[in-house]
Amino acid sequence: MTALRLLLRDRVAAFGGLIVLFALVVAIFAPWIAPYPDDAFESHIMQRLRPPSAEFPFGTDNLGRDILSRVILGTRNALLVAVAVVVAAMAIGVPIGLAAGWREGWLSETLMRVTDVFLAVPQLILALALGQLIAPGIGAAMVALALTYWPFFARTVFAETRRLRSALFVDALAGIGASPTRILLLHVLPNAAPAVLVRATIGMGFTILTAAILGFLGVGAAPPSPDWGLAVSEARQHLPEAWWFPTFPGLAILLLVLGFNLLGDGLRDAADPRLRRSRR
Amino acid sequence: MPEILGATDLVVELGAGRGLLRRRAGVRAVDGVDISVAEGETFGIVGESGCGKTTLARALLGLQRESAGEIRLEGRAVSGLHPRAARRVRDAVQYVHQDPGAALDPWWRVGATLAEGLAIHGLTDRAEQRARIAETLAAVGLDAAMADRYPHELSGGQQRRIGLARILLLRPKVVILDEPTAGLDLSVQAAVLRLLRDLRTRFGLTYVFISHDLSVVRRVCDRVAVMYLGRVVEHGSAATLFAEPRHPYTRALIAAAPHLDGRESGPSLPGDPPSLRAVPPGCRFHPRCAAAAAGCAQRDPVLEEAGADHAVACLRWRDLDAA
Amino acid sequence: MSTPVLQVDGLAVHLRGEGGLARILDDVALTVPRGGTLGVVGESGCGKSTLLRAILGILPRGAETPSGAILFEGRDILSDDGASARGRIGFVPQDPYLSLNPVFRAGDQILEIMRRHAPGSRRDHRDRLIELFRAVQLPDPEGALRKYPHQFSGGQRQRLLIAAALSCDPALVVADEPTTALDVTTQREILALLRALVADRGLSLLFVTHDFGVLAAICADVAVLYAGRVAEAGPTRAVLDAPRHPYTRMLLACHPDRATDLAGIPGTVPAATAQPQGCRFHPRCPIVQPGCAAQAPPMVALGAGRGVACPWHEVALA
Repeated sequence: MTALRLLLRDRVAAFGGLIVLFALVVAIFAPWIAPYPDDAFESHIMQRLRPPSAEFPFGTDNLGRDILSRVILGTRNALLVAVAVVVAAMAIGVPIGLAAGWREGWLSETLMRVTDVFLAVPQLILALALGQLIAPGIGAAMVALALTYWPFFARTVFAETRRLRSALFVDALAGIGASPTRILLLHVLPNAAPAVLVRATIGMGFTILTAAILGFLGVGAAPPSPDWGLAVSEARQHLPEAWWFPTFPGLAILLLVLGFNLLGDGLRDAADPRLRRSRR
Repeated sequence: MPEILGATDLVVELGAGRGLLRRRAGVRAVDGVDISVAEGETFGIVGESGCGKTTLARALLGLQRESAGEIRLEGRAVSGLHPRAARRVRDAVQYVHQDPGAALDPWWRVGATLAEGLAIHGLTDRAEQRARIAETLAAVGLDAAMADRYPHELSGGQQRRIGLARILLLRPKVVILDEPTAGLDLSVQAAVLRLLRDLRTRFGLTYVFISHDLSVVRRVCDRVAVMYLGRVVEHGSAATLFAEPRHPYTRALIAAAPHLDGRESGPSLPGDPPSLRAVPPGCRFHPRCAAAAAGCAQRDPVLEEAGADHAVACLRWRDLDAA
Repeated sequence: MSTPVLQVDGLAVHLRGEGGLARILDDVALTVPRGGTLGVVGESGCGKSTLLRAILGILPRGAETPSGAILFEGRDILSDDGASARGRIGFVPQDPYLSLNPVFRAGDQILEIMRRHAPGSRRDHRDRLIELFRAVQLPDPEGALRKYPHQFSGGQRQRLLIAAALSCDPALVVADEPTTALDVTTQREILALLRALVADRGLSLLFVTHDFGVLAAICADVAVLYAGRVAEAGPTRAVLDAPRHPYTRMLLACHPDRATDLAGIPGTVPAATAQPQGCRFHPRCPIVQPGCAAQAPPMVALGAGRGVACPWHEVALA
């Protein structure tokens, strides 16, 4: 409760939270909010590249589709990709971090060195390679993102577990005979949850940005999907005349990534017990 | 009274382990300790920080594996086991941490923490758990409503009581109390000490009382062992030890304790204890000892009888007495 | 008689927070004479650290001082133009482990403070610090300059911090439980050092502690705080030997050196946001009288510098 109150007191973080909340609402109700929900797939060549107007507030794109509608519909994709990637990365990284943090010795060493190797792999290059290997598309992009993001969770959970392992309450639990499984799942994991949540929030922003870049490079979402990165990429040929074409999808990326990062920073501050004490 | 918990030639090595390439050498935090705690008594262990008193406690408890020596519980040898197995065998020994607030999971309500101990020991029936918890909370002088609180909502005294309740639920025979009054206010300390005394009678407990506060130790302990650099240098009944300390270290320690009447007596003890990584040869205390003689750097003293239920490990204790 | 080094008069400190208005200190008066040693003793929640913060000018945000004055060498350091006088108050913190930044050399950290307080060349400061290190009996004063905090033991670190407190050439040293984190043997050494500094350098000392034994070892005078008020004050020996306030009497009866039966004091220290009316100790007092809840008892002078904030101080405890 105190963490939430602190978060709301932090104006910048509250602003980030507001952006994220707004994006969530937009994503959930996208088909009902978008003025032309069918423009996800339909094109209207007759009204291509119209500047912003009352009819099309964000203008239309090279196929005559309403950009506002596509930005709104794209929110859902962006968030779905981000959630899927982050959840997958957590599913891999959290157990590895727990195991490596709890144990000491060769198992821990091996797990963490493998983590380091994955940490060293450049995201975009892996995504490009996987795209070539499997088939370019949003699926390959997501696999690549998850494969390169899980080390961050492993490292975070590893550090938290190492810290908590020497915490007095863990020692006390061992003292009254609690099994390691019980200690890890019921005590260490919940105590590490704030750090994981912070990591996940920042990861969401990061994933959205990278997914957009992949879309831009043509190895992410494929046309005619209303992907923001893809839209920016498609707009390149129509610059500088159709300035509205890349601007609004680009702004959407900027805003949502910013929102997640601000929220993540705020969460980190709120979850840091040292800061909690000093602000009291 | 018969012995309930004892150790012979106990050695505990800390920090030793296999690195990736070579074996790391550890330090001997406990180096050849004999103790014998009689049933029903309060056995004090005193010494400066780093003397190995907490390590000794953890080894007795089974949380720290001993490197050599024997540990006995109710007449049975319980040493030489892996920590998990050791804890199972030594269920009758429980430990109360120095900082009982930090020994509670901050995310768990106190009641859940208390119930967890019971669940681990096979009591999973909710109603019975609640009844046992309410009964134990009453025994440590707390309201049953306390179970709904979070650890940070408790005062220092309440945290100690919860720490006690937590292990009393497991029906131990021996309770190791690590600095049970550190950081407590005088009035709260008095209340906690009184509670400890009452609980001892009520539940038939034996206490191992680790403390650096000699006023408290003198007050509550029946017998006392003084530790220095991993060794017991003197032990005996509290009355004898405080009235006629034989070891120069014990004398300095007792002299250093501040008293209400402001008197200061006996020699001051300069410097800090040396590191366990560089244990002095001969008597470990000789570099700081005012009474050290030539032989002290060569010969390592062993505990010898200095009276009824009183032993001291000093080469010169007889001479000192005469002086 | 010359002006006292520190005189606190009718000081009140209030803190507005989530739980409402906390009256942390109320009508606190105490005096540290020149060359004197005053101990402020009390249990947690009695306001001793707030008093210390008020003197050092580091009260938390939201704290107000609605009334009272803190006169340091005759100047009110609560007023804006008197605040600069605080430069000559040295401070020894409680925890020597937390008070030094581990990544910088200890000597450099103290030199930085010295440079900020006094002009002079690097060399002068260095020489002065070595001299201070000698004064606090730090082994190898020259070599100590190059060491990092972790290379000192706890007792040595406390000596470093005492040297730092002395570096501003203070008229008053304020110490916040400087020996709580130390072993008894080290504690004794540090107390002996502080006593020697008071005697040799004519320092005045305000010593905050919760330990009556430490108090007896170093302070000539004492003020016992309870729930933000002075319950009893006077020469340490007289107060410890024959306490008069019911609180002091009960508290000293809890001391293991003295206790006949470990009784404790029933009840708990009230929260600063819920101070009882009248005498703040009355809900826990065994000899409470009808008038006690009505108004705060004034200090009764007992002669020989003693005072007690209880009109019933001659009544025996039940």
